[in-house]
Parts: sequence; structure tokens; C-alpha cells
Amino acid sequence: MPRFSFGAWVENAVDWLQSNLSWIFDAIKTVLGGMYDGVDAVLGGGEPLLMAAIFAVLAFWLRGVVPAVLTFVGFALIDSLALWDEAMATLSLVVVAAVITIVIAVPTGVWAARNSKVSATLRPVLDVMQTMPAFVYLIPGVMFFGVGVTPGVIATIVFAMPPGVRMTELGIRQVDGELVEAAEAFGTTPKDTLTRVQLPLALPTIMAGINQVIMLALSMVVIGGMAGAGGLGEKVYAAITQLQVGLAAESGIAVVILAMYLDRMTGALNERVSPLGRRAAAKAAASARRMKFAHYKPGTAVAMIGVVVLALVAGGLNMAGSGGSGAKSNQAGGGNVGKGQKINLGYIPWDEGIASTFLWKEILEQRGYEAGVTQLDAGPLYSGVARGDIDFQTDSWLPTTHKDYWDKYSDQLDDLGSWYGPTSLELTVPSYVKGIDSLADLKGQGKKFNGKIIGIESSAGMMGTLNDKVLKAYGLEGEYKVVSSSTSSMLAELNASIKKKEPVVVTLWSPHWAYGKHDLKKLEDPKVAWGEGEQIHTVAKKDFAEDFPELTGWLKDFKLSEAQLASLEVEIQKGGAGKEKESARHWMDANPDVVDEMAPVGG
Amino acid sequence: MSRLQAEHLYKVFGRRPDQAVRKLQDGTQRDELRADGTTAAVIDASFTVEPGQIFVVMGLSGSGKSTLLRMLNGLLEPTAGRVLFDGQDLTALSARELRGVRSSKISMVFQHFALFPHRSVLENAGYGLEVQGVPRAEREQRAAEALQLTGLAGWEKSWPDELSGGMQQRVGLARALATDADLLLMDESFSALDPLIRRDMQDQLLELQKRLKKTIVFITHDLNEAMRLGDRIAVMRDGEIVQQGTAEDILVRPSDDYVASFIQDVDRSRVLTAGSIMEAPEEGRSDKDLLAEAPATVSAETPIAELFTPCSTSGVAVAVTDAGGGVIGVVPRTRLLAVLGEEPQVEDVLPAQGEAEAVKASA
Repeated sequence: MPRFSFGAWVENAVDWLQSNLSWIFDAIKTVLGGMYDGVDAVLGGGEPLLMAAIFAVLAFWLRGVVPAVLTFVGFALIDSLALWDEAMATLSLVVVAAVITIVIAVPTGVWAARNSKVSATLRPVLDVMQTMPAFVYLIPGVMFFGVGVTPGVIATIVFAMPPGVRMTELGIRQVDGELVEAAEAFGTTPKDTLTRVQLPLALPTIMAGINQVIMLALSMVVIGGMAGAGGLGEKVYAAITQLQVGLAAESGIAVVILAMYLDRMTGALNERVSPLGRRAAAKAAASARRMKFAHYKPGTAVAMIGVVVLALVAGGLNMAGSGGSGAKSNQAGGGNVGKGQKINLGYIPWDEGIASTFLWKEILEQRGYEAGVTQLDAGPLYSGVARGDIDFQTDSWLPTTHKDYWDKYSDQLDDLGSWYGPTSLELTVPSYVKGIDSLADLKGQGKKFNGKIIGIESSAGMMGTLNDKVLKAYGLEGEYKVVSSSTSSMLAELNASIKKKEPVVVTLWSPHWAYGKHDLKKLEDPKVAWGEGEQIHTVAKKDFAEDFPELTGWLKDFKLSEAQLASLEVEIQKGGAGKEKESARHWMDANPDVVDEMAPVGG
Repeated sequence: MSRLQAEHLYKVFGRRPDQAVRKLQDGTQRDELRADGTTAAVIDASFTVEPGQIFVVMGLSGSGKSTLLRMLNGLLEPTAGRVLFDGQDLTALSARELRGVRSSKISMVFQHFALFPHRSVLENAGYGLEVQGVPRAEREQRAAEALQLTGLAGWEKSWPDELSGGMQQRVGLARALATDADLLLMDESFSALDPLIRRDMQDQLLELQKRLKKTIVFITHDLNEAMRLGDRIAVMRDGEIVQQGTAEDILVRPSDDYVASFIQDVDRSRVLTAGSIMEAPEEGRSDKDLLAEAPATVSAETPIAELFTPCSTSGVAVAVTDAGGGVIGVVPRTRLLAVLGEEPQVEDVLPAQGEAEAVKASA
């Protein structure tokens, strides 16, 4: 059977698009980014409780008193979880993606309903959009659009589109044929038949489709978070990567509150916009005798006035607020080298990455730079730096772990040297597993571990090394099966096994906080099958040295010892999520000379 | 001039319909075409409807009657043949012109009412006017008048789903009447209703027809309904019109076994009239004698149901008289019983009446 190299074509196509049509992608990025910024400015700009009140008024208008109260409580809860900005960022992303999806999906669905050929052509396309794993197009999306909101929005649109199209088509097709015929029999034009008969009658189904679009859009935000879309998705993603179950649950609850709100509101919207829905609502209201006040809903005009008044108050507070806190400065006396230059750092939510990134963020701000940080998955991170969206990142494991990314992007990147090393990769067992101290000892002990080695993401370089080299070198292939999962699943498995005192063997690397938390034993590697240890490099975009000459020097000289890194990581673990920057500052306060060493002010 | 004329209408669904029409014209049977995947729904249908007439097309489901009806207002384009409406060839019109004709001159009443559920009763009744672009005030007034005509005054603000089936169909009828169209196409309009309500609606249609004198083409599968409503009836079978004529023609002289079996269950006593079953009086007896003897005197149009009582009380024949009082025939008890008992026979031998002759000649 000859190898059908479909994948190679796709890769070529992506390369070609990237080099030849970048202006289109830039235009799309500008438009989508602008829409998102606009919506986010409105939603995220107001005082949280006032915004919650506005959402509650909308709920009052659409559903009545009880849902309005629940809405207010729900959004207030989000605020008290300190997730307000993230929730509004997520809501903005959903709103932008949903609006674009609906604008495309409804006319497409109408077209498909009126033309069987279009319908037949669209069906497989929609299948692909709905079932193709999001990562498959998320990464090319990052290549085209850079990290940030745009690939997240695009991925969301792709994923959320199919039900919008399908339900519109279904809605129009299921309008009673006799009614359409009746319209024609009275001489109605095809266009009027659509607008006067088909669309009004299909509206409940179309609204159900729109509801689905919004829910699917919301379900994509976590995946969007991996490409730098920010919001709750980023929080959830970061939390699960670092095994912070509590934080993940908090962010998850915020997602659920948003989801329930959006679901109930779009569901009820049908009662307001479609004539059939209004009829049904009027009937229900007439039949509800008891608890009449609970069913009261204000008229559209009243609700509108409520929203406008609250919005004006919110806007007014905002103006007053920003006037008061005008000259706020972060600089701690040191020389203002950055002069407000903007700089973007990206990081993979690995511990040393978080630690070094927030350390640098704090240092840079003290030196007068404006430093932004974006959390990304490794693929989007490299492609983001290569595109120049990210100025530098401090977590390149070379030459092994990130070899694939380095090979692909090295000519678009500048290596600023290693700041920590050597690292090591290893298989690790809990110390209570007696008699196994070296990889060679694993042979013949497969039963003990159920023949399993708990791995991490199959995309990770160390997984390839493990399968291709380490197992062979020690004759373990066949006896052990490497289970690929994710870093967080691996750590969870390790955690669970330790609790039950069961034998387990996992892939791990140093530095890693797990060595501080658990009593673990690195298996010796006398045959050096894992290779020499790696170095953690700082990698910047191509012309970084020209844009930031001084900073380039600092980064090239950047070094941390194992003890320094460990203490920094511990400090950050202690501070908890969301306080990384403060934790980094605490650490700097405890190590005052390090900063001057890392970023010496000239002269 | 006839209001509506159908000339050799064909409708073929499937591949290469034109070729199929040629084959049919050359005498190929419908079943042979079906083997090729083409369906001949209507085959060579011709008929004429005079102004003010109710023309009923009757047939079982699948006989092509609904297809035929939809060719009359251009909802379906005939594969071959012409439809002349007031002398205008509808098949030659553009889609736009055809929509114009449909909105103002031909309206339609549907089997399942086809009321728009998102519009009130008044808005439904005024739909045709809305399409024509009639201003709102006039539209609502005319729609309200049409509703009054069908007995729905006071229901204007209601919604279709709040009405019973019969009332819904009155809205459908009002919608068709509101545009003042000359031609009403009614597609099994009363079939979905309960028998009692169906009868009510039939009576009301006949009542309205007396006042409005519309031209109506009415489709039904119910022979009793056809007999009640139809000035003229066409019986369809497998896409072809097998017989046309008045109710009596069809009942008394079915053109083939199919029609004969069809009319078996009809209540003959309500359709047949004294005139159609009477015998010539005995030779040599004067009108005066006959009238004196007879237990009752009836006109030729009297349904024979009304002859039972007089015949049961007397052995002498009932006399049938014309408008001037002259005896044109008699119905003896034996004849009455024989007519009720007999199975309809193809081309039953009965004294042919004048009109029947004419129908046969034209058929």
C-alpha cells in the first residue's frame, strides 16, 4: 500500500498561504482583534456589580424576577472569585465569535434549504468542521494569525458554525409545505415567501441553533486559552497543567455560570423575537394563576431604559475612576531604562517557565518597561515568537525536548543562551519502591508496574526518546508499554499511587517541584540512553537585539542556580495562582542583589 | 366564453418528460413508463368550466387530481397542453405575470387549511390583499367582510390554533374570497373535517355560491360530496379523466366498470331524480286521469327519496309533471324499487334524456 501523503500537501499549503497571503490574515486579524477589543472594552470596562446588574436587567426582561436575582448572584460570585476580568474576556470572545458565526451560518442555512445541491455540498464540510479536533486547525491558526484572540475566535467560529447552519436549514425545510404552497398560490414572490412565511415559522428552530452556537463557542474557550486567547480558558488550562484542582474548579464554575446565563437567555430570546414564541409566552402567562408577580416581565422599553441608566452610571464611574488614579507607577526607584517600551513575554505553564517569566516581568517593570505576559502551549509559543508577536520566552529546552520546534523555526529565532542547566530527563519511582534504583533494574519487574510507564503528552520530545532509545537500551520494550497522557494526568496518577503506596513508574524531569513535594527516586541511567542533560534557553524573536539592545545583554547574562530557582518556585507555589508577580517581588525583596546583577543599570 | 379551459394537459414527473408525453400520445400505457422511472401524473386532460359553475374533479388518491388542480393556477407547469383562463393562456405567462394572476384572479383553498400560524385570523384572511399591496385600512376592511361572509365575524383577533377545524377552513375560504378572485380552486377542502361539519360547509358553500356566482373547481375523493356540489363532475383514474358529466349521468350511465364500482355506495335515492327514472305513461290515458289517480305529483327534479311515502301508500304510479303541469312520465312502485335494487351497469339502458345525449356526444 503506497503512503498517501495528504499531510505533506497540507503542510505545503499552509506554508504557501503563510508566505503569500499574509496580508489577508493580517486584515482578518485586525478586524477580529478590533471587534474583540471593542466588546471587551464595553463588557470589561464597567464596575463588576453594575455590569452584573445590567445582566440581571436583561434576565428580568427575558425571563422574570427569579432568574434576574440568580443572574445577579451568579455574576457577583464570579467577581468574588476574582475572575471578573477573565470572565468578561471570555464573554467578549464568545460574543464576537457567536455574532460572526450567526451572520455567516443563517444565510448559509437559508441557501442550503433552498438548494439541495448546496445542501449536499455543505454537509461533508460541516461534518469536518464539527468533528476535526480543534488542535488540528488551532496551530495553523496561530501560524496565520499569531497568538492571541484571533486564532481562538477563528477556531471557535469553525467549531460553532455547523449547528447554526444545520438548524437554519432544518427549520426552513420543516415549514409545512402546504403553507409555502399557499403563499405561492396567492402570488407571493420567493423572497417574500422566505421573509413572511418561512423565516418567521423557522425562527424557533433557528433560535435553538443560535443557542447551540453560543454554547459550543463557550465550550471552545478552554482550547482557545492554549493559543493565548486569555480569559477563563487560560485560567482553566493553567490550573490543570499545574494540578491546581481548586483554581480549576473556580474557573470552571465561572464558565458554568456564563454558560447557564447565555443558555437561558438565548433560549428565552425566542419568546421575544418570534411571533410563535410570543404567542406561547402569552398563553403561558395567561394560564399561570398563582405567583403572578414571579412571572412578571418588564416591557422591552422599560428594560431598555434600565440597561441604559445602569450603563451610564457605569460609564460615569469609570470616567471618575480613571481621572483619580492617573499617575500610577510601578517603578521602584531604579533607572528607567525601558522608557515605557512595550515588551511581550510568552510562557508555557511549566514551573520554571512561570517562575522565570514573572521574575523578568517584575524586573522589566522596575526598569521602566511595560511587560505583558501570555500563557501558551509550546506549539503556539514557538510560532508566536517566530512571528514576532512574542518578544522573548525563557523556557526553551534544548537540544532535545523542543528539538522539533527549534528545527522548524530556528531561522526565525534568536537564541540568547542558556540560563539554567543541565537539566535531566528520567524515569522516576517513589522511594518506597525498593530494589529498583536504575533503569536496568526495571527488567523483569513489569508485573509490579502492570507493564505500564506513565508518560506525558505524546508530543513531548522525551516521549520519543523514551520509546526510541531508552526502552531499547535496557531491553524493556515489549515488557513495558508507555502510556501517553498529559503532564497533569501523570502527576495525578503519581499522586494517587503514592497515597495508596502502590508501585508506579513515571516520566519526569529536573527541575520539577514534584521532587520537593514527594519523596521520589530518579532511576540511574548508566548507559546514558536519555542523553546528556539539556539546557534551558532564552529564545527571542529575530531582530530582538536591535529593538532591545540593553535587555539583550541582560538576558544573555541571565543565570539561575538550582537553589535560586528552587526557592523562587517555592515562593510562587506558596503565593498561589494569580499572585505570581507579587510572589516574584517577594523573592526579589529577599534576594535584593540578584536584580542588580540580572539587570545592571548602566553608568 | 368559458371561464376556464384545459386543453390536453399532461404532467409527467421524472426524466425526459417531453419524450414520455410523445409516447403517451402514441398510445403507450402509463405502467410501461413507470418501469423507466417516469411517472405520468396527468394524461391528456381536457375540460371546460363555465362561469358560475362548480366543476368537481373526483378520484382516489394518486389519480392525479391534485396535480391537475395545480396546473390550473401554474403552481405546476404542464408538461404539455394549455390552460386558458378567460381566454388568456396561463402556460405562456412569465413567472411574474403568473404571480399577478394568482394574487388577484385565482385563489385557492387547501385540504389542511394552510393557515399561517403566526398571523391572526384577520391577517390570514387579508393575506392575498397584502400580497397585492392593498393599503392596510382597506385590506382589513375587506378581510373582515370576507370573514363575515363565511360566518366568522367577531373572530378577527383570534389565532388559527384557537379555532375548530371547520372554523379554520372558513378562514381559508375567507382568505380565498377576500381577493375577489373569479376562480376558486378547492383542493379536498372539506376532506379533513368531521362528517357533520363537512356537510355544514358544503351547505354553506352552496349558499355562498348562490350569492357570489364564483367559478369553482373542487377536488374530492368523496363521491357523495361530488354529487352534492358538482354542476359537472369529472372522474379521474390513473391520471386520465374517464368520465365527465352531471351527477346523474355518472350515476345512471357509468362509462366503465371502474366508475360503476365507484358509485356503488352512493345513496342513489338522494341523487337520482324522478325525471331520470320515470317511465312513459300508458298509451291512451289522458293527463287528467293520470293526475287524478296518482297519490302525488312531483317535478322532474324531485329526488326519488321523496317518492317513497306516496308509493308505499298506493299501488298507482306517481305522476311527474313539467312546469306547465303537463304529465311527462310516471314512476310506478315497481320501477322505484327496481332502480334502488339494481347495480349500476355500464351504459345502463334507460331512456336517454336530452342533456345526457349532449354530454355523451361531447365526451
